[in-house]
Parts: sequence; C-alpha cells; structure tokens
Amino acid sequence: MGKVNYKKMKGSQNLRQRLLLSTLSGTPILVEDIRADDKFPGLRPHEVSLLRLFDRVTDDCVVEINDTGTKFKYKPGVVMGGRRVAHDCGVSRAIGYFLEPLIVLGLFGKKPLEIRLKGITNDSKDPCVDTFRSTTLPILKRFGVPSEGLDLKIESRGVPPLGGGEVVLSVPIVQALSAVTWIDEGMVKRIRGWTFSAKVSSQFEIQMIHAARGIFNNLLPDVHIFTDHKAGLQAGNSPGYGISLVAETNAGCCISADTTISYARGDDVGDMEDEKKELKPPQDVGEDMASALLEEIELGGVVDSSHQGLLFLLCALCPPDISKIRVGKLMPYGVETLRQIKDFLGVEFNIKMDTSTKTVILKCMGCGLKNLSRKSS
Amino acid sequence: MAAGSGGKDQSHKAHRSSQAGASSKSHKAKARKAGANGAAVVRGGWNPNLAGNDDMARAGRGKKRQREGQGAVASQESDKPKQPLTKMEKVDRKKRRRLGEDSALAEQKRQNPKAFAFTSSGKAKKMQSRAVEKEQRKLHIPSIDRTYGEPAPYVVVVQGPPKVGKSLLIKSLIKHYTKHNLPEVRGPISVVSGKKRRVQFVECPNDINGMIDAAKYADLALLLIDGSYGFEMETFEFLNILQVHGFPKVMGVLTHLDQFKDVKKLKKTKERLKHRFWTEIYDGAKLFYLSGLIHGKYPKREVHNLARFISTKKFHPLSWRTSHPYVLVDRFEDVTPLERVRENSKCDRNVTVYGYLRGCNLKREMKVHVAGVGDFSLSGVTALPDPCPLPSAAKKKGLRDKEKLFYGPMSGLGDLLYDKDAVYININDHFVQFSKANDEEGDVENKGKNQDVGEALVKSLQNTKYSLDEKLQESFISLFSRNKNLLPEHQGSNNKIEDHMIDMEAAKQGDLVEETEPDGPTKSDTEDSDGSASSDNNDAAPEKLAFTEHVELHGGRLRRKAMFENDYDDTEKDSHDGIEDDHDGDTKISDDDVSSSDSDSSEEDGEVEKLDDDHMGNMSRWKESLTERTGLRKSTNLMQLVYGNSASSMELRAQEKLDTIDNVDSDEEDFFKLKGEGDKKQKGQNDAYFDAEDCSKCMKYTGQNWKEVNIYERIRDRFVTGNWSNAARRNELSVGDAEDESSNDDDDAAVDGEFEDLETGEKYGSTETGPQEEDDRAAEKRRLKKLALRAKFDAQFDVSESMEDEEDEKRGFTSMDSEANQSSYIEKLKEESELLKQKNIAELNELDEESRLAIEGFRTGTYMRLEIQNVPFEMVEHFDPYHPLLVGGIGFGEENVGYMQVRLKRHRWNKKILKTKDPIVLSIGWRRYQTTPVYAIEDRNGRHRMLKYTPEHMHCLAMFWGPLAPPNTGVVAVQNLSNNQASFRISATATVLESNHAAKIMKKIKLVGYPCKIFKKTALITDMFTSDLEIARFEGAAVRTVSGIRGQVKKAAKKEVGNHSNSKGVIPKEGIARCTFEDKILMSDIVFLRAWTQVDVPQFYNPLTTALQPRETIWHGMKTMAELRREHSLPLPTNKDSMYKPIERFPRKFNKLVISKQLQKDLPFESKPKDIPNRRKPLLERRRAVIMEGAERQVHALVQQLQFIKNEKVKKQKLTKERKRKLHEVEEAKAEEVSKKRRREERRDRYRVEDKLKKKLRGRN
Repeated sequence: MGKVNYKKMKGSQNLRQRLLLSTLSGTPILVEDIRADDKFPGLRPHEVSLLRLFDRVTDDCVVEINDTGTKFKYKPGVVMGGRRVAHDCGVSRAIGYFLEPLIVLGLFGKKPLEIRLKGITNDSKDPCVDTFRSTTLPILKRFGVPSEGLDLKIESRGVPPLGGGEVVLSVPIVQALSAVTWIDEGMVKRIRGWTFSAKVSSQFEIQMIHAARGIFNNLLPDVHIFTDHKAGLQAGNSPGYGISLVAETNAGCCISADTTISYARGDDVGDMEDEKKELKPPQDVGEDMASALLEEIELGGVVDSSHQGLLFLLCALCPPDISKIRVGKLMPYGVETLRQIKDFLGVEFNIKMDTSTKTVILKCMGCGLKNLSRKSS
Repeated sequence: MAAGSGGKDQSHKAHRSSQAGASSKSHKAKARKAGANGAAVVRGGWNPNLAGNDDMARAGRGKKRQREGQGAVASQESDKPKQPLTKMEKVDRKKRRRLGEDSALAEQKRQNPKAFAFTSSGKAKKMQSRAVEKEQRKLHIPSIDRTYGEPAPYVVVVQGPPKVGKSLLIKSLIKHYTKHNLPEVRGPISVVSGKKRRVQFVECPNDINGMIDAAKYADLALLLIDGSYGFEMETFEFLNILQVHGFPKVMGVLTHLDQFKDVKKLKKTKERLKHRFWTEIYDGAKLFYLSGLIHGKYPKREVHNLARFISTKKFHPLSWRTSHPYVLVDRFEDVTPLERVRENSKCDRNVTVYGYLRGCNLKREMKVHVAGVGDFSLSGVTALPDPCPLPSAAKKKGLRDKEKLFYGPMSGLGDLLYDKDAVYININDHFVQFSKANDEEGDVENKGKNQDVGEALVKSLQNTKYSLDEKLQESFISLFSRNKNLLPEHQGSNNKIEDHMIDMEAAKQGDLVEETEPDGPTKSDTEDSDGSASSDNNDAAPEKLAFTEHVELHGGRLRRKAMFENDYDDTEKDSHDGIEDDHDGDTKISDDDVSSSDSDSSEEDGEVEKLDDDHMGNMSRWKESLTERTGLRKSTNLMQLVYGNSASSMELRAQEKLDTIDNVDSDEEDFFKLKGEGDKKQKGQNDAYFDAEDCSKCMKYTGQNWKEVNIYERIRDRFVTGNWSNAARRNELSVGDAEDESSNDDDDAAVDGEFEDLETGEKYGSTETGPQEEDDRAAEKRRLKKLALRAKFDAQFDVSESMEDEEDEKRGFTSMDSEANQSSYIEKLKEESELLKQKNIAELNELDEESRLAIEGFRTGTYMRLEIQNVPFEMVEHFDPYHPLLVGGIGFGEENVGYMQVRLKRHRWNKKILKTKDPIVLSIGWRRYQTTPVYAIEDRNGRHRMLKYTPEHMHCLAMFWGPLAPPNTGVVAVQNLSNNQASFRISATATVLESNHAAKIMKKIKLVGYPCKIFKKTALITDMFTSDLEIARFEGAAVRTVSGIRGQVKKAAKKEVGNHSNSKGVIPKEGIARCTFEDKILMSDIVFLRAWTQVDVPQFYNPLTTALQPRETIWHGMKTMAELRREHSLPLPTNKDSMYKPIERFPRKFNKLVISKQLQKDLPFESKPKDIPNRRKPLLERRRAVIMEGAERQVHALVQQLQFIKNEKVKKQKLTKERKRKLHEVEEAKAEEVSKKRRREERRDRYRVEDKLKKKLRGRN
C-alpha cells in the first residue's frame, strides 16, 4: 500500500553492505546501472545468490530484477532467522562472502539463526571459514553478543572451482549491541593457525606449517598450527590446500591472514592443464602468509585489514554511545563501508590519524538500532 | 496521610518479624521444633545484630524504615519542597512521636518477652518473603541518561474539562514567575522558573486528539478538577492516555472550591475527591487545592505554593521519548515564496517550526512525523540561540528580575524573535521614539563603530526611502561593522543579539536576498575563493570594504559558510599556504584521489615510508614538527577522503551525466564498438568504481622478506617477546596524542609558534616522559570515575533534602550495608551507566564543535528551527495556536508499514465490546491513525484464533496494518472522536508485541455435506464442496457425522458411479466426494468437515489529519458497520440457520421386524415368533352367549346397585374434599401475603439500621 520511496544507488559496488544496511534500517533501495557497460552486464551469480539468501532469511522482502539484470529493486522485510535454514551459495564466490553480511543480519532477527551454507569454504578472495571462526566471532563478542549460540561448524571443505563444502552458522539474537572503546591493540602473545588439504596429500600441510614457522620463529615461540586433512566426501569436489593464521594479542585482539591455493574457476577449461602446473608450492604459501600476517601486525589496529568494514558496521549499530576504535591503514573496503553507513544510518565517524603509530583512530556515536523484529514477551 | 500510615504499618510489620528473629535466638529449641526449613530461613535471613536490644540502634533503624516506607509509597514525598520551618517541625514531631512509640515498644518487649515471641515459623517466613519481594519490586533497571546538553524546559501541560480554569491557572503562574500579565494563553509559553530550571506551560486542548498529543509531550500534567462538580471524564481519559504513553508526573489541582458554603461539606468533598484520585494513580498522589478566586485570580499564596511544587518535581526518563527526538512547536511560520502562494493559494507550502529539542539527539537526515499532518523529511535544520536562556552563573540566591525571562511567541509574548538569519524586535508603541530620518544618511558607517549595533540596524531598517539596493548596501555595511564590533562582546553577554548559530544550509536555503541574485554558479565560485581568503588573513578586513556590493554581500553571507569550513581551515592554517592552495584549488582533485583509492593508498604508503625513514634517521626538531604537520593534514584529509567525497559524489555523478550527454555524438561514431570497451576508456576509473568488486579482503601485500633481521626487528615490539615498555607506550601514547591533537584543535592556535611546542616533542618522546603520561591517564580515569560517582550520588539523593536527613543518611549507612549488598547488582549497573555517560561526555568534549555536531547531531535542549517543505496548505490555513504542534523523529524502520500484533484489552469503562474489522483510531508512538484490527486469541497449541469480538474482561491479541512501532510501545485505541458524548471515549489500551510482515490468524470453518449414495462403508457426499478441484485440496481430511462416525475424504467421485443425472443432457454435478467411514452411515446423517481457514487482515490504515482541518470539526474516517447501518437504517442481517425454532420430532416409523427362516428355525421356542394361522370363524368361546337365571339375575342387579351407590358416595366425597382444599388454599394465600408484608418491613428496618451503621463507620474513616 502506498508508494515506496526507493533509495537510488548505482553500480554493483558494495552490494552486500547496501543490502545489509537496507535491511537493518528498513530502507528500500533501487540499484541501477549494474555493469551496464560490461561485456557481461547485470548481476553476477553470487549476487543473485546473495539476494536469494536475504530473501530466505527475511520475511516478505521483495526483490525485482529487470530482464538484463542491470537494475533491481529491493524492499526489505523482517529478519526472521530460524533453524534449519539452508542455502546454496554457488561456486562463483566463497561462503565467506555470504557470511560477512549474514552474521550481522542474524543478530537482529526474530529468532536465532541457524543456517547451513553450501559452496566454497576456502578461497583466496574471501576470508576463509577458519579465519571466520578464529577472528570474526571474537570481534562480535566484543560488542556484547552472547557467546552461546554463536558458532560456525565446518562440515566439509570445498575449494574452487567446484566447491562442495558445507558449514553451519548459528547466530544468537541481541536486543542491542554495546559500544566499545577498543584502542588497545596489545602485543602479540601467540600465533595460531589452521591448515587444510582437500584431495591432496597431507604432506602439503606440513610443508606450509614448516615454512610459516620458519618466519615466526624469529619473533615468537608460541606458534601452533593445526592441520585438517580431508578426504572423501568431506573434502568437497576439487583439490586444494590453504592456511589461515591468527595472531592473538594480550589485549584480546585477533589479527588474521589466510589464503587458499586451488585451480582457477573454470571459465576457460582449456587452460586447465597449464594452470595445474602454476599452483603455488606449499612452502611459498606458508612463507607468504606468514609474511602477510606480520605485515598486518605491522599496520597495527585492533583488527586486520579485512575486518575493518565489519568493525565499523558494528560500531555504527551500537546504542547512542561513543565507540572508539583503532585500525591500521584504512582500506578501500572500510572506506566504502564508512560511506554506506553514513548513507543509510546517518552515522558519521570522526577519523583521526595517529601519527606516532601510523594508525587511525575512529570515533562514532552509534545509531541506536534496536532489534525491531524481536518479539516482546 | 496514607503515606505516613503506610510507612508506619510497614515498620510495625518489620518489627514483628524482627522480633521473630530475636526470639528465634532466645527460643532456639522452639525454632528447631518449628522445622528445619523455617528455622533456616529465619536464621539466614535476619541479621543477628537486629536482635540486639540496643535502643539507639533500633531508633535509627526505625527512622530509616520510616523513610523507606515513605519512599515506597510515594516518590511524591521526596518532591516536597523545602517548606518553612513549620513543616519541618511537623515532620520532626512526627518522627519523634514514632521514636517514642518505638522505644516504648522496646521497653515492653524487654519486660515481657514471651508476649512478643513468634508463634508460627510459617508466618514469619511468609512475612519475610513478602518483605523481600516488596524490596525487589522497588528496584528498576537503571536507564542510561544520554542527554548531555542543557535540559530543555520541562513541559507542564495544564489539562482539564472546559471551564475549569486552565488558562487562568497558567496566567496566574506566569504572573507569579515573571510579574507580567498574560492577556491570552496561546501555544507553549517558556518561563525561567529558577536558576537551573525552565518550564514551558501548555494548555491542553479539549478534544481527544489534542489530549493524546499533549500526553506525548507532557513532562508534568496538572489535572484541573472542578471541585464543585467532581471528576469529569476528560480527567480520566487523559490519565489513561498518559499511562499508556509512558507515565509522566501528574498533579491534581482542585478548583472552584469557593462554591462550597458549608465548610464541612467542603472538607468531605476534598476527602472524597482525594481518595478517588488516589485510587486512580497511587496512594499519596499530590492533589492541590486552589481555594477560590480573589479579584478574578487565584490567591497568590496558593499559586506560589503550586509553583514551588512544580519547581521541585523530578522527572524520570520515559523510554519512548529517550529514544526519539521531538519538538514541541512554540513558533510556526509559513515561508513559502509569496509569489507561489499568489499564483496558487492551494499550493504546497514550506513551513518552519521552532521549538526546543527534547528526547534525544536529532540528526540532520532524520525523518519526522508532524502529529496530525504526516511524515516529512526535514529540509533544513538549524540550531538557534536560546530565546529563553538560563541565567549565566548566578551567584545570588534567587533570580534577578532581568533573568526572569519568558518566551511565548504564539501568545505574542517576548520582545525578541530569533530567526535563522534575523532577529525581530517587538517594541510597544509607547516605548518607541522614532528617530529622525536624516540621522543615518551619511554617518551610519561612522556610527557603526561606536554606536550600539542593534540601534543602527533598526534605524537602517526603518529607513524606507531608499531602494532595495541601497538598503542592502547600508545594512551590510552596518552588519560588517557589527561583526567587528561584537567580537569582544560575543563572549560577554547572552542577551545580545548575535547570529553565531551553526548554519550549514546557508547555501542551500533560498532566501529572498539570495534569490535576488541572478548568477548562482559564479557566486559560488567567488564564495570559494573569498572564503579561503577571508579566513586566511584576518587583518585583511579593510581590503574587504573595498569590495563591490555583490562581493561584500557574499562576504557577509559567507561568514557563516566560512564557519562551516572552519575546522578544515583551522587545521590547514598550520600547513603552508602552498599546500593549502593545492587543496582549495579544486575539490575534484581529492575526488579523483579517492576514486583511485588504491593509488592513493600506495601514495600513503610512500608517505609512511618517508615518515619511517624520518623516524629511523636522526630526528631533528624541525623535521619532527614537519611530520607532525603532515600528519595533521592527513587526519583532516582522511575525513575528507572518506566523507568529503560522498558529498561531492552527487556532483560527480551529475558531471558524469553531463559527460555522457556530451559523449552522445562521439558514441554515435563508434556505434558498433563492443560495449564495455569503448566506454571504459572514456569514463575510466569512475565506472570501475561503481562496479567495483565487493571484497573485504583486498590487502595488497608488499612481499618484503621478513626473514631479514632489520625488517622483522621493526615489529619486534609488537610481540610479547619485545620491549614491553615500548609497546605499552605505543598504546598509551597514541591516546594521549589524540587528546593533544584535539586540544590543539580546540585552541585553534594557528600560530607558527606551535612548531616549538614541547608537546610535539613529547609525542615521539623519550622514555622519561612515558610514565608521566601514564600518570595522566590514570588520573584522567580516576577523575572520570569520581565524576560518575558524584553524579550517581546526586541522582540518588535529592539535593533539596534537608541537612538533618543527610546526617541521618550517614548514620543509617552502617546498618544499610546489608541492603547495599542485596542491591549491589543494581548499584553496579547504575555505576556502569554513569561511567558510560561520563566517558561519552569526555569523548565528545574532545571534539570541536563541528565534528561533534557531525557525529552526535543536535543536542537536546537546543532551540531548533526545522524547515519542512511541501506540507499541505491546509496545515497553514487551519493552524491554530491553541493546538500545539508536535514534531517527533522517526526511528529506523518505523516509517515502514506492516502488520503489527498488539496485546489489547478493552477498557473496562468502555461500554461496548469491540468488533473485529471495525475501524478504530490508534495512537502509537507519535502517530495516530485509523485501522481495522482483527482480534484473536492464542490457543493452547500456539494457533491464533480469530475472535469476532474482544473478550469482556480479558486481554486478547489484535493484528492490524499500519506503520510499524518497536515492541513494547503503548497503544491507545479510540473509536469515537467526538466531543459531545458522555461516555468514556477510550475503547482499549494495548502494547505492541511484535511486528510482522504476515498476519496469521485462523478461524474455524465447518463444511457440511449430505450423503447422496451409500455403499457399505463408503459414501458419496454432496454439497460439501463445490468443485472437484476443491476436493483435491481436501484429500485425506477428516470428516465426521453427527452421530460420531469418523471418516476421511478420499477423492472426487467418479462420474459414472454416483453422478448419473436423472435426465439426460444435464451436466453431472461437480463436487461430490467419496468418503470412507468407520461404519456404515445413514442417508439421514449429516457429514461435517471441520477445518481452519486463514483470516486476512485488511491492509488499511488512514493517518489522522486533524491538523489539516478546522480543529473544531470532528475528523471523519472510515465508519463502523454499526454507524453505516444506523445511517442507512438497515436491519441487522440474520442467518436463517442461526434462528431458534421449535424442534419438531416426528415419530419414527420402523419397518416390521423380519426374521429369516433359517434363524427362526434355530431359535428356541420361546423366542420363536408364534405363527398362528388366521381362522375363518372365531372360536367357539367367543361365539356363544351366556343367559342368566332369575335368582342369578337378581343377585347381579343388586351387586350393580350397591356398586353404583358406592361410586356415588366416593364422587361426593371427592367433591367436598376439593372444595375444602380450595378454601384452604385461599386462606393460605391470604396468610402468606400478610407474612410477606411483615417480613418485607422487617427487612427494610434492618437494612436501614445497617446502612446507618455503615455510614457512621465510613464517616469515621
């Protein structure tokens, strides 16, 4: 009933944040010009899958996509949550892509969410599920999310191009988050890690661990990297291996780096044979990721570069108290998130460069979002 | 007083239980006997100290308890103003008396302990648990107070039925506060009532819509009651509305008490009304008496007392209001361009509303709901200087006359009207001395320097001889000189007219002055350059005078614009001009910077590297400060990078559009170019930016060799294996850094001397400064905590409490410790919330004004000017100052429309029950709208079953369609908005349970069918379904006959089986279902299918647009069914089947019993039907006749005669008996009547006596 005022946006950028913020703030959006000038215009399969996921988790949301897929309307519904929800994420992006918005969305649902996601668990593009478990969930706990009911279970692994992995995410609901003052990054007290190998030799893992240790040994003795060798059904459909490293500081911050090595997605199958040879050797992977982790540590900040967006988002969703956080260099993704937050929630951050440590300190007052869909008893 | 007596009562109870505790000690054996359970409770629950017979301790305790009792019964008690000695004495005396009682009791107890021994452990336990429960019920989860600004004036709504003296009361109060006579009360009137308090008086309109709105903004409601008449419905309606929309403070005021001639009657009436009032609110609620009129005004003394009560009220936050900003409009202007109105008087208008911001902070982007009009987005938000400010730092005891400000623009009060860019001065005619016109011809400029600015301004305004151009020039010259002149005054006085308001929309909002300017774009260009110039060199003012009119005009306007960019300017001042030029030159550069953020980050990287080199190399002072400055520059850059772009992104997009339009020609040339290749080159990065991949992991690792020593040593201190002190400093320092920076910002010390600031040296500081900073931090933390504690203490204990009380408190503390432990959780929560608040304030104070506004929004308590565009013209036309306007902010998701579920209860005073789908007006949050709810109740299995009507005395669920509100919001339902009706108008009250996008309410449905053909256990049922499709839907459904035979729907019957029509050519009937049963059914059976069907809630809601029509007319929305029927005089439709008819039961005819031959054969003879063949002739015995002989005949005749005689006798006897009985009955009836009469009289007498007794008793009470 009545005319819906759509917020107009352009392009496919930040689709996840836009959909998430649109749902949380209840603003309908209209996105135009999605790759309109591209060779392959319109929404990508993973984006469509994301829309489907939102449709599944919420009640009565309306999505209209035009014929070419270059334009769509999204009218958010009430976040329902619920148990035994399942979603196939497809193989064009990893599950990490879907997890990032989903975990925030689930917090503001009517019922606790328990969802089974199928697809690619580990990918080089998106944060892998191990990192999610070790780094992202603790960040949520900082904001007052109860730890019971917050879990990610990895049932089976799946790497590109064919995927076949499965995880179960459960998110509790909250009434409101709580603001944080989180500027103490602390010192790294231990490094933990997870390697996995699916449909390849478990020897790969040992090589990765060995190489990574070689770098950490100069700095810290407390390094422990777990292995997870999968075979058979649990290994998914494609071979691959990867590593996820987390540095925990004595102030409770987790800084992570991860990657996965596998064959490229099969747009052009003909190159398959060539690419097989190009896979990075495990020693290099271990070394590179260890270096990457050290680089993240050098940047400073209470979270690593890939979690900036989530951190900002959570701060903005807090009750109207001041949150103060410190991050390393502002990443483009974080910057985009900041802009989207201002667009949808009207929350502006005060950003200050901390010159002595080359980090950035952000301050904001939360928008005071409360869980509207929760039922009052 | 009930409060006192309540307290006493409690103390008594407590005493008894404490004695129980005492005796539990002395009579241990008894306690043991009483059972382990009870004994344990007694022993564990009571502090053994209490059992001690120390008189002093008991006295203290008694007092304390008494105070608690008072607190429990009425928070009102604490509201009592400090009254002159008499009252204090009274209290004192009371206390002493109670003390005496206590000591006497103690004495008694000592002498005769057995009399006070407790008799039942169960009772003691019960009492103890009750006491604990009472205590717990007092506790509330502390709400965090997030209002940081000066509190807005408290709204005192004066409500009452018509002709009860509302406006007179306001007039009297205003007179009391300000010594001014108010001619008329229109709209809110703000008054400074004390050194730290302002109040805003509003008269509540008399219609229900006005009452609902008033309940939403009232902080204190004065309910005026006509004492000579008694309570009227309005008061109770208003109370109910208040209770639903968060219960603000309420005080009753009895007027018209001079109508009573009889003192006794007056006293009785007061008592009666007071008790009625108490039952409605709580025992001990304040009811104030205004004894009568003196010279048409209320007595001064009483008004004074009332004012004292008002000024000492404490207001607690109400949950809806603390989460939504709202403005009670005290000024309303129509700012539509006159030309547009002239062209079309019914065009949409632009209006500005003014008022204090209340509730919570308001952000610029927020949408608002104007009560009675609708939802709008704010097109302009401006903070204005307070028109009615609190006295600044008053040292004196009371208020001076000058500080007794008041402001009520709607009532034509207050001499000053502040606007965004103008101040209107209202001077009474007899105060005005018109100056001579020739005065300001030439020497305005000269005078401006030494004359009062306001005067010059006014004079220049008076001058009407000049053309607009000249006038503008002149006024701006004076404005300019004013600016120079006022600078020192700026800080000094509040009362001065200044426009130092924060104004961001200056450029956006079209003023008349600006509109006269024809060249928009060039203006902005000049503005830009001018702005930077003006802020750069402050001493270039004389140069400015030389500018042309236009530029000056802009310069004058631009002052505000410059302020907007102030922070950038401030910080940029530090840097070289060269750098700045680079910045101000073109904003697009920075845009490009962002769009290619990757390249930018790499640039940053480069800088970082450079810094690093600096750091590592020898650190000379100048280099350090240089890096410092670049850092500062970068910090502002960061904000710009992130947000500056987004503001200009619109521009960018617009530009892009232009580009594409331009490119049309060129595009035509390469028409056949592949999409995506041709354009990409032209649009370059922009396009990629729009469709950038959504990826949170985009860190580009540099790939350094971390095995090298010098590289990994760089981050050694980030590990626990490194130098802890270094690392600690890293964390600590940076905090200090931020603070330092901000302090620098605040000072806006833009002097070059800052370079040598020692602080900058400290930032990179050597180890010795580290600990000091740490100390500072610790000190800061301690300070915060202290502040929090103090605030908490203030909140807990009334400031106005007497000294004696405080002393009492201290003494009581020791014994209160145990209680403190009990409620320590609450205490902790309170402390936490207070700490949070202090931390927020500290963080906010660090920021400069501009960025604070950006992240926080406008603070509560600021006087706001809100511009709303495109409101219906009716709002302006029918604006009525007697009906104050409420503008409330809308939270996230609250403008969305959906189904809402509420828990609803019909008001017990509403005479009718409510019908499902009958339209009803609901008030939720700020909104009022009409909707059609469907009532339901939750079954045991969780199904929501529809109810046709609301239950009589129960809660039920209601589901309706409308704008969503968060759970736990209160709802008032009203069905009848008209004023002239006697009955209670509030139909129901409710709370929101949840909001849904789907309504799932079921109702029972019963499908009835009849067998048309019966096989053995299968039957074909007709008339139950209308089509085969329907049957397919119900396959497997359970059916039942009336006689209780259960069955199942199988399938649609085949055509040839049961469906052959009698006459050919008729289409066989559809919808015959084949059902199977557990037994064979009869043709006379009726078959039922019982199912549930979903009821859809109509998607209808109709906002009440009461502000868009004359206020006295009643708003008409959708009509209820009953109203429609009444209007059209339609009868109630009746279902024939529901009618009650006499039941006709025909005697059943059974067929003859047929026993098969086989069975007959097997039956025993007895049960065998005896087949006697019909005879042709009757038997001989029947056929023959009997003839008597003579004697025999005589005997027979005699016997017959005797028999006859006997029969006659009996008949006679019977008759006489009957007669006698009848006579007797009549007599009996007579006697009965008499006795009845007697009994009735007896009863009457008895009642009379009882009534008298009762009255007597009541009178005694």
